[in-house]
Amino acid sequence: MAIGRTIRDDFDWPLFIAVSTIALFGVLNLYSATDGGTTSDAYVQQLYWLILGFGVATLTVAIDYRHFERYGWLIYGGCILALTLVFVLGRSVRGSTRWIALGGFSLQPSELMKIGLIIALAKYLHHDTKTGGRTLVDLIIPGLILALPMGLVLLQPDLGTAMVLAFIFASLMMLTQLKMRSVVTLLATFVVAAPVTWFYLLKDYQKERITAFWERLGGTPTDLLDSGWHTQQSLVAIGSGGLTGKGFTQGTQTRFRFLPDQHTDFPFPVWAEEHGFLGAVLLISLYVFLVLWSLRIASQAKDRFGAVVAVGVGAMIFWQTVVNLGMVSGLLPVVGMTLPLFSYGGSSLLSTMLGLGLLMNVSMRRFSH
Amino acid sequence: MITLSQRREVGEFRKRYRWMALFVVLVFGGIIVRVAQVQLFQRDRWSGIAQQNITKTLELPATRGVIRDIAGRVVASNRPSYDVYTTPRLLQPEDLDRIASLMDLSKSDQATLQTRLDQIPLSRRSQQLELFGDIDREQLAALETHQAELPALDIVTVPLRDYPYATLGAHLIGYLNEVNAEDIERAADPGTYHPGDRIGRSGLEKRYEALLKGSRGFRRLVVDARGESLEGNRPDSLEVEMLKQPVPGHDIQLTLDMQLMEAFERAFRPYPSGAAVVVDIHTGAVRALYSKPVYDPNEMSSGLSTKRYAALTADPFRPLIDKTMYETYFPGSTFKAFTALAALEDAVVDPMQRVECLGSLKIGRQKFRCNKRHEWVDLYDSVVQSCNVYFWVLAEEVGLERINRYAKAFGFAERSGIGVNSEAKGFLATREWYEEHYGKFRIGYTLNTAIGQGNTRVTVLQLALAYAAVANGGSLYVPQVVQNVRSPDGSLSETFQPRIKRDVGIAPEHLDLMRRALIDVVQDESGTAYRARNKEGVRVAGKTGTAQVVSRKGRSEESSSAWYLDRSHGWFAGFAPAKDPQVAFAVLVEHGGSGGASAAPIATSVMQQYLGETGPEEAK
Repeated sequence: MAIGRTIRDDFDWPLFIAVSTIALFGVLNLYSATDGGTTSDAYVQQLYWLILGFGVATLTVAIDYRHFERYGWLIYGGCILALTLVFVLGRSVRGSTRWIALGGFSLQPSELMKIGLIIALAKYLHHDTKTGGRTLVDLIIPGLILALPMGLVLLQPDLGTAMVLAFIFASLMMLTQLKMRSVVTLLATFVVAAPVTWFYLLKDYQKERITAFWERLGGTPTDLLDSGWHTQQSLVAIGSGGLTGKGFTQGTQTRFRFLPDQHTDFPFPVWAEEHGFLGAVLLISLYVFLVLWSLRIASQAKDRFGAVVAVGVGAMIFWQTVVNLGMVSGLLPVVGMTLPLFSYGGSSLLSTMLGLGLLMNVSMRRFSH
Repeated sequence: MITLSQRREVGEFRKRYRWMALFVVLVFGGIIVRVAQVQLFQRDRWSGIAQQNITKTLELPATRGVIRDIAGRVVASNRPSYDVYTTPRLLQPEDLDRIASLMDLSKSDQATLQTRLDQIPLSRRSQQLELFGDIDREQLAALETHQAELPALDIVTVPLRDYPYATLGAHLIGYLNEVNAEDIERAADPGTYHPGDRIGRSGLEKRYEALLKGSRGFRRLVVDARGESLEGNRPDSLEVEMLKQPVPGHDIQLTLDMQLMEAFERAFRPYPSGAAVVVDIHTGAVRALYSKPVYDPNEMSSGLSTKRYAALTADPFRPLIDKTMYETYFPGSTFKAFTALAALEDAVVDPMQRVECLGSLKIGRQKFRCNKRHEWVDLYDSVVQSCNVYFWVLAEEVGLERINRYAKAFGFAERSGIGVNSEAKGFLATREWYEEHYGKFRIGYTLNTAIGQGNTRVTVLQLALAYAAVANGGSLYVPQVVQNVRSPDGSLSETFQPRIKRDVGIAPEHLDLMRRALIDVVQDESGTAYRARNKEGVRVAGKTGTAQVVSRKGRSEESSSAWYLDRSHGWFAGFAPAKDPQVAFAVLVEHGGSGGASAAPIATSVMQQYLGETGPEEAK
């Protein structure tokens, strides 16, 4: 079967259009967010990253995903190695070491790790002979596959990415038919683990953000100089956008620098301020479509590996989007979390595009033998 | 085969997709609901904050209205004071050290300031706040030099209240001090007062606060999160007013004559305490309201320490009390005029009938002493010579009820209605009151009342107004201290017309008789104020009085001043010029002893200065 025929007939146009639209909105939004500031050429860089991202995705699509299955452990191992290298070669930004310099630019191996984890879990489940009635014992090996990278990421420390890894893992495990008894046991474990995490694993600034969040939910006035301030200003931006927004490049919260990290973690308030509720709903709808579409692709996948990869990529996008939107709209505490495709940042964009390339791959090869 | 088995394996996941899709839709649905809540339902609130974020409001204080006397002399005005304001949101932590060193603050002052700043609630952090008021020239120079490095600071020139006559008339004019939470709350318009503002706290400053205050203005600047000004970068969505000019307060012109007040100040120099009131007999306009001693209004406005307050309270001459209207005294013999008029009007006495004064009068078992042996005196003589015996005899005829009735007509035991500060009512004791408080009613009470002792208590202001009624033919006026109010542009916005409270109901010939008697009190050799007369110049008429002082049981002054505080008060109340009266007055010298010797000379000399060469000044 010629590949040319596949691309013409099986190319997943809805997926491509949704992804391109979000990415394009992201660049426009970035232009507005940085207009007149010291990083006003950021949108150009983002365009380069985007082109590179589409290139990577194309490359990923070109290779039959079963090759990824074959080299699954190698990919996983490479990601783990990169994560380890962070501690040797990494540079520190705001108290945590996440980056390694690679030639002219920096990379965040923790971003790639998300894809590595998805592939590793997919490979494991693909070869798993069980078809139901799973118990906790069946979670041990996947659990270890998660634990290694998650531990490394927590050491950086990067709470947000660690959370995404855990969420991807949980989503994929929910895909399998875990026994109810096991689910209950898991929940119980979580209840025990939460305080341990709080007291021994979280750094002070992480705790502060979470505390500020609960205080705000409870209506207690918090000091707005730090994290409470971020959420407050984010809500001001979103809220003042109203139904139709203040217009492109007209957001005052953005222009007058009231939004923190406005092009990385807080691009949504910029968007919502300038394009209002209508713009916000449009953007959110694109994400909803993207996630539901990935589930559809999974349901049509011809093998387990493909299905798990599709659900994994969908879960990655879903959880990052939900946590980011929840955070900027004051529903969740402020943890560093980018909005996939939309936020400024090369590594995040690359890993997302890599994942979407895999998704397209699975989608296009659903009927081929 | 392979395909079939693979399909079956994937089948394990099949049941999950629907649930996952449902979960995804629910979660995103929740987020959309939240965004709708923030953008659609809470929009106004967040928009308000967004606009507040990018604007910095500089207050433009209003100039408080000027108070002038009848001749246009400035009584209360404003001088520039340099105040330092900050916008707490823009203040960087290191700025505070800088400010402390520029302002030359002590460590503890700096700590206090830090605490104060820390306590500012979030909602106020974008609003300006006064850090220092009325800084001196050196501090001003230091701050101005480094102002560029401290964008969070603003130096604002604010007019500060200035009283050129210092303590003179302080009770009436009043003072300002800082608003408290209650003032801010109580103001009709919520934005009227801000913390740090000053408000009229007593006297005219309080009474006419609304007119004098004016209304503040503001100028808004567009700023970014660091507080840097971005003029010319005003976003279209900014819907707030950027400039509002302040409106100065109204100016007030008083009926008071500060030159007359100064004349009293000089005349009272020999005495530590006392009071004087001068009113225009044809209008009720108050020309002088003089009370001694006085507190310093500047001291009051900056807030008294507990210690200073205690000292002021403990001062035996009571500087905090306005003795013209808040304190009451026995009127002494100045009251005889009203006893006599009551008798004449009700025809209970033939004014020609004579009584022999032997220096005392025995009624029942009690012996009442007169000041001297006056021999045979009629009503006229007894007013001129202030013979008690005549009035005792008269009192028995007139009775307490009649005396009280006429005294009430003359405005005693009721507030004059001057409308500034608290005013005492005074007191006239009735037969019932005596029965209630002393058991049995005795004729002695009536006798005492007739000569202004007993339980009758009057204010200096009431007495002056009552004598004005005698002088003007029977009209009791509501006293007025404000002549007119002018708008900031100088146009008259309100002029106060004289208000007659009532006609006292005394026949002209009786008032005429009384006026002639009062003239002779000063002009006739036998008169009790003869020695105080102006040998040339203004002829003054009036009645002397000497009021006993209530024993000061329980007070604990050292004995050196105790003898003085037991001395009687000296009164002189009357009008001038004698033949064509223009003003009426009441002068009280606390512990001055005989009124003829203490109060009368003050009154005649001040009247000489006031009416002597040019006559009283009129409103310009």
